[in-house]
Amino acid sequence: MLDAFSRAVVSADSKTACIGGEELQSLKTFIADGNKRLDAVNVIASNASCIVSDAVAGMICENQGLIQAGGNCYPNRRMAACLRDGEIVLRYITYAVLSGDASVLEDRCLNGLKETYTALGVPLQSTGRAVGIMKASSLAHINGNNSEAAGGSRYKKNEMIDGDCSAITSEAASYFDRVISALS
Amino acid sequence: MKSVVTTVVTAADAAGRFPSTSDLESVQGSLQRAAARMEAAEKLASNIDNVAQEAYDACIKKYSYLNDAGQANSNDTFKSKCLRDIKHYMRLVNYCLVVGGTGPLDEWGIAGQREVYRALNLPTAPYVEALSFARNRGCAPRDMSAQALVEYNALLDYVINSLS
Repeated sequence: MLDAFSRAVVSADSKTACIGGEELQSLKTFIADGNKRLDAVNVIASNASCIVSDAVAGMICENQGLIQAGGNCYPNRRMAACLRDGEIVLRYITYAVLSGDASVLEDRCLNGLKETYTALGVPLQSTGRAVGIMKASSLAHINGNNSEAAGGSRYKKNEMIDGDCSAITSEAASYFDRVISALS
Repeated sequence: MKSVVTTVVTAADAAGRFPSTSDLESVQGSLQRAAARMEAAEKLASNIDNVAQEAYDACIKKYSYLNDAGQANSNDTFKSKCLRDIKHYMRLVNYCLVVGGTGPLDEWGIAGQREVYRALNLPTAPYVEALSFARNRGCAPRDMSAQALVEYNALLDYVINSLS
């Protein structure tokens, strides 16, 4: 498993070069924006069950067949498995956001996930859609632009210092996209 | 590669939980001290050739018998390899400063070190001398800030201990 720092080390070592100049500059930015990263992880972790259950509910709303007899979320047992998997995926995404590198997500979550789902008969398209909803709601939480209109009765305001979170938002988005592309 | 973040993530993953507040606290602690390490890494990277050369010269001066025929520093090929080795250690120190742990030194420098030097019949004392010279040569605030120098020296001490 790598983080942003050890990723820089591994790539410098393959060139037998020291880490200085430009690479170091990007790591310094990483350090300077560290609190934004920690806030992002915190806000996803604090709202995880809401993000996951909303995503699964949204996926089912769009495709009612899932909860009819023979559907993949039909008995409670399978619905529970679906919620559990949503939480696992989201958890690995928070690890990736925290470490600033996708290796933990790739190695421990996505590697072989598609094959497993195919073998178990889990519909990949629906799974991808659920991850897409998790992405939208997580990014809204990170950016602090989740609204009462979108959240309804479950709306929760995040008490965070205002600032430019575009960099960490797009980084987090890239991890969600990785999951979606790994499943398609 | 072991670092504060990967240790935290491994522990959280083993327990199957999201990163907790205490996990985030420990990551923040490491980020706060990172500025000094980055400074040391930057200064070392910009001057690594001179640092390695000085350290090499110092150890050959102390162990001049290495220049004798049949010894480890007796011809140009050997000389350049000796210098290269010192530079390798300095580069790994640079990596450790970036990562914030001894992972790179442990994995790429120290693991198997004893066996290699024994197989090649190389003495470790000159390495110790070279690294000790570098250890004592650094000066704050001429070369880097005091805190950065502490981080840099701590890693050199770590290598010296592994060799002695």
